[in-house]
Amino acid sequence: MSLTIHARDLKRYYGNNRAVDGIDLEIPSGRIVGLIGPNGAGKTTALKAILGLTGYSGELEVLGRKPDKDRDRLMEDVCFIADVAVLPRWARVWQVIEMTERLHPRFSRERCMHYLKNTKVKPKTKVKALSKGMVVQLHLALVMAIDAKLLVLDEPTLGLDILFRKRFYSNLLNEYFDEERTILITTHQVEEVEHILTDLLFIKDGKLVVNATMDAVHERYREVMVKPDHVEEARAMNPLHERVLFGRHIFLFDGGDIDRLNEIGELHRPSVADLFVALMGEEYEDNAGAEEAA
Amino acid sequence: MSTRAISNMWTLMRRELWESPGAFKWAPIIILGLILFFIVFGLILGSRFDNEMAFTLDAIRQFADVPEDQKRLFVTGALFAVSGLFLQLLILVLLFYLSSCLYDERKDRSILFWKSLPISDSMTVGSKVLTAWLLAPAIYLLAAIVTQLLVLLIASGYGLMAGINPITEFWLPASLPRLWLVMALGLLVQGLWLMPIYAWLVFCSSWAPRVPILVAVAVPAAISLLQHAWSMLSSFSLPQFNLGRIVLERLGSGLIPSNIGWQVESRNGQVDMGDVTFSEDVFMSFSNSLDFLLRPGMWIGLLIALALLAGAVWFRRRATDT
Repeated sequence: MSLTIHARDLKRYYGNNRAVDGIDLEIPSGRIVGLIGPNGAGKTTALKAILGLTGYSGELEVLGRKPDKDRDRLMEDVCFIADVAVLPRWARVWQVIEMTERLHPRFSRERCMHYLKNTKVKPKTKVKALSKGMVVQLHLALVMAIDAKLLVLDEPTLGLDILFRKRFYSNLLNEYFDEERTILITTHQVEEVEHILTDLLFIKDGKLVVNATMDAVHERYREVMVKPDHVEEARAMNPLHERVLFGRHIFLFDGGDIDRLNEIGELHRPSVADLFVALMGEEYEDNAGAEEAA
Repeated sequence: MSTRAISNMWTLMRRELWESPGAFKWAPIIILGLILFFIVFGLILGSRFDNEMAFTLDAIRQFADVPEDQKRLFVTGALFAVSGLFLQLLILVLLFYLSSCLYDERKDRSILFWKSLPISDSMTVGSKVLTAWLLAPAIYLLAAIVTQLLVLLIASGYGLMAGINPITEFWLPASLPRLWLVMALGLLVQGLWLMPIYAWLVFCSSWAPRVPILVAVAVPAAISLLQHAWSMLSSFSLPQFNLGRIVLERLGSGLIPSNIGWQVESRNGQVDMGDVTFSEDVFMSFSNSLDFLLRPGMWIGLLIALALLAGAVWFRRRATDT
């Protein structure tokens, strides 16, 4: 299987700030990878390194190229949407389309127009006159019309309404994704992407905390809604996290004896969001406590 | 360069025109309109004082009688003068255009979009420089040519009223193809001559945190002030070698048509106009432009420009939205 992204000990420091601190990564093609982490964990920096937008140290190959040396060639096979506001505001829609068509060898105007057909984006409008959602629609149409091998989305749906976000991901999945392509997404709205992800990366303080396929994640982490009389027993089984919902105690376990867990309560798949809170949340809870105390 | 590279370059240069229609479309059109307005206004005003245009027509008839070489001098001189405004404005427009060319995309974050296209940083920087060197001058030259043709048409109307043959009296002495070629060559050479200044502006716009044009002016101004201060303190004299003066001399000695061929030497603060003969050669000669290519200053300037542009590419490669 060919590797889309290969990183070994990838690092990027800004002075003393270790934005990316030694990441090892192997992403094959045909995956939808979610890169999830709290603010300032190094998500954007890692993506920028992958896209050749920032320097780095360590080993990094994207589609067999070194992004920092070879950005322009790499961009023939990689597309990215940084976030909503990066299309040139002075340009008209037809100008943006024409420039992309002329500058990108894998762009298909036909496909782009097909995606724009059902939107309110009109060719003569200036980008600055479009609403935020329409700019994303335009950008997504441009990107999906490019026959790329890797698509990088950095908070693609920031500030958009829920209808639009749903449509965004269903378009992506139904009309764009196939075995040849890889999609790398970062977002804070984890619950919206978790159904489409095949791989999960949790990043914290520049390091990967989780790097596994969704199947492996579901295999490994279990959520148990514990019956009231088994709470003490569950606590003794070394859970990762405990929370209380409507008076029911919910425990998250890393591994554990399935039969035993079934006995003490109902077994669920943990949502990515709950997993995120369990694995990364400690600091937040500590901080929140400190803030309340202050 | 491959055909794909050429077509990409052309697309990027067209992009520059789309991005700055004020500088490259409306400014020349407005100047054209203003020049025509003032000519027509002047003629109308003149006709109110000139009963039945007797003086005007008389002057035209007299003009038809002057020797051929003076006729040529007068017509080409007048047409050059008409284009002067375009060429001065072009320099001004380019100074602003170049100083913001790599800054605006960082400011509005569209650099992330441009960098998502398979276009190298040197190609991007190159497209800005070529726009300033070739495309913008071509547009302004075209506007100047249109103005010249309109002026000649107006003059022809008056010539017909005066009963002279406008073709032989105005159009042929104008020697238009030669005039246009001289102007085109002059613009090309002027672009090369000013290239170190252009490159400096591009360089500043590639890294300046804000208001790149201020940075671009302030840095050389500060250096030349320091040079002055140091020289005054150390030897109580004006500096022999001063950056500010070099820059201003270059700007001042490169403008066509006003001072091509006028090698005004200002050493010792004396302006010696004695050997400037006002003839057709002042503005109708190719060699005036080509002489610039033989000056060592031209090639030193181009080397400096190359270094500055390499710096701009270096910064563009590292630039993102933050």
